[in-house]
Amino acid sequence: MTEMLREPRVRTALAPDPVAESGTKLPAVAMQGVTKRFGGGRGGDPVVAVDDLHLDIRDGEFFSLLGPSGCGKTTSLRMIAGFEYPSAGSVRIFDQEVGLEPPNRRPVNTVFQSYALFPHMTVVQNIAFGLEMQKVPDDEIATRVGEVLELVQLSGQARRKPSQLSGGQQQRVALARALVNHPKVLLLDEPLGALDLKLRQAMQLELKRIQEQVGITFVYVTHDQEEALTMSDRIGVMNLGQLLQVGPPEAIYDTPRTRFVADFIGDTNLLSAEVVDADTARLTDGTVVRVATGRPVGATVTLAIRPEKLGLWHADAERDLRLDAVTGRIRRMTFLGNAIVYEIVTETSGTPVELTVRQGNTPGIEHFEPDERVRVRWWPTSTAALED
Amino acid sequence: MATTLEPRTTPPPADAAPELGLEADAERAESRRGLLIGLPSLAYLVVFFALPLVIVVVYSFATRSRTGRTILGDWNLDSYARLFDPLVLEIALRSLWLALLTTLISLAFGYPFAYYLATRSPKVRGILLVLVMIPFWSNFLVRTYAWRVILGRDGPFVRLLEPILGTDVQLLFTPFAVVLGLVYGYMPFMILPLYATIERLDFSLVEAARDLYASGWQAFLKVTWPLSRPGVIAGSLLVFIPSFGAYVTPEILGGGRTTMLGSYIVRQFLSARDWPFGSALSVAVLLVMLAAAVVYLRSGGRNL
Ligand SMILES: Nc1ncnc2c1ncn2[C@@H]1O[C@H](COP(=O)(O)OP(=O)(O)O)[C@@H](O)[C@H]1O
Ligand SMILES: [Mg+2]
Repeated sequence: MTEMLREPRVRTALAPDPVAESGTKLPAVAMQGVTKRFGGGRGGDPVVAVDDLHLDIRDGEFFSLLGPSGCGKTTSLRMIAGFEYPSAGSVRIFDQEVGLEPPNRRPVNTVFQSYALFPHMTVVQNIAFGLEMQKVPDDEIATRVGEVLELVQLSGQARRKPSQLSGGQQQRVALARALVNHPKVLLLDEPLGALDLKLRQAMQLELKRIQEQVGITFVYVTHDQEEALTMSDRIGVMNLGQLLQVGPPEAIYDTPRTRFVADFIGDTNLLSAEVVDADTARLTDGTVVRVATGRPVGATVTLAIRPEKLGLWHADAERDLRLDAVTGRIRRMTFLGNAIVYEIVTETSGTPVELTVRQGNTPGIEHFEPDERVRVRWWPTSTAALED
Repeated sequence: MATTLEPRTTPPPADAAPELGLEADAERAESRRGLLIGLPSLAYLVVFFALPLVIVVVYSFATRSRTGRTILGDWNLDSYARLFDPLVLEIALRSLWLALLTTLISLAFGYPFAYYLATRSPKVRGILLVLVMIPFWSNFLVRTYAWRVILGRDGPFVRLLEPILGTDVQLLFTPFAVVLGLVYGYMPFMILPLYATIERLDFSLVEAARDLYASGWQAFLKVTWPLSRPGVIAGSLLVFIPSFGAYVTPEILGGGRTTMLGSYIVRQFLSARDWPFGSALSVAVLLVMLAAAVVYLRSGGRNL
């Protein structure tokens, strides 16, 4: 049975990141101490949309800004594009300060949330617009527009007006219109938000393919954690105007640093615990688990464990000293098709701990019934100690 | 899944003839109700628009007796032939020219104002809109007479200009006064449709243009202006049409040398007692306006 819970490979948080290590490449976008306040004139309190943002986006990466609605993602993106000027701080694109430059003097292009295609122009005219403004010769415009139409697979729709296209096609035109300029950085503000689920998933893969093909740095804003996890090389999680954590999808998911990140991305068990020593902590029900908190003895910490990292056994299963474990009773069982989710309440003395366990519906997996006594076990490396 | 496919109510037995034509009855009743609701406005249009129009058209083919009576009968096209009289053409061209000038000036001043209006906060917008409409609270005739005082011999403009220029200055009873009065009177009709169009404009399109390397001015020329065309056309027509047939303004602010079609038509009906010719002139003016309206609908339809 222990086979079902294989020891996880720890790579993300601890393994060095090759690009970061090299350190020689210039960041595509560097934001330092960027703050944006709105309003505040005549007595009203200003809204701090972005609060002291420090962020380096690497050349050639697919970077996502992820966070709930209103957390300041769009405002951050708009400051890179030049539609908003920062109240404080510096925005650099390949080491060139652009903080106060107008949008037409920045080597970046934007794919807007609602596409913002020019309704009075055809697909080709839309795409050629940026090149015409840059006074690119006509024959070169024709070549480049043809190439990019091919890239987004829209060659057949060249003479149509945007209103004659489907949502997915409009999305591609918006993408082509930006890419044709060969920007140094492409900014995308929830570009798939208006599409239905199936199309959105197809476009996610397509966007990723295009990004790899053209090799341009993408800065992608989304509130959809699944989208961010699927597409990104790295993710920056934001809340209330602040950047909370930056890292590859695995690191963000497996070792969230704060309660917000753990809670916002995926489902998670948040457990209150007290630090026992450098390597262990005690849950409220008295169970001692192995986790390096880096906090003083006696301090209260919040621990996070993903439901799918917990394994379920009969209560009398033999002990495995490599694993941490609690014993409890199943309160509820939900069948999801591809998985089964159990809610478990521990039975030890002290305040009971509530845990959610998610087991894949794979052949050979044992099913449990409500009220059954079970043992929940997990690898100590699955436990993350949160900062707040 | 299969359960949801079953009908919820029991279907009528197969042998009972389905009641055909039930929906046709309902639709007929619906359209009767529609007619009933539309009846008052329909009656209004017939009595106050269609009927007078028919009378005017009929009279335009009639003959004027030597004493100025209109003889219904003896139908002819004489009145229409007289439209090509040099005097008539001169007046018509002057009307056209003054109306076009009025339209262009209203557009030149109305557009920036409408743009400003549409880009304010809702609160400021409300105040400015009320200001635009305040002139309507008092009588147009009275307001036009006020211009007569302002532009007259003892008015502030003449008093200011004469010492500077050192000569006599005549403002009142000139084409300038007429155009000024027309622009003043019809400006709101330019501003309001422009405002409505610009206000609905998606400003992320302007941002997109700026993002694609357009300067502010280029973004305006390539995006804002073409997309505000429906408002430009609507406003221009709403100014052009009444200016072309204007009567009150040229009558009060214009002199003998600035007669426009409106005044000329009125003169046919009153002092000249030539109703057939007055009617033919009216029909001609009507056709010009109709042509303008067709242009509007055509271009509006293509751009929206
Ligand atoms: N132009 C603006 N004026 C005033 N407040 C704004 C403006 N733009 C954004 N905000 C505020 O800034 C905060 C962040 O907004 P935004 O960046 O759009 O969030 P997100 O894209 O993450 O949903 C919100 O509270 C929003 O109301
Ligand atoms: Mg947003």
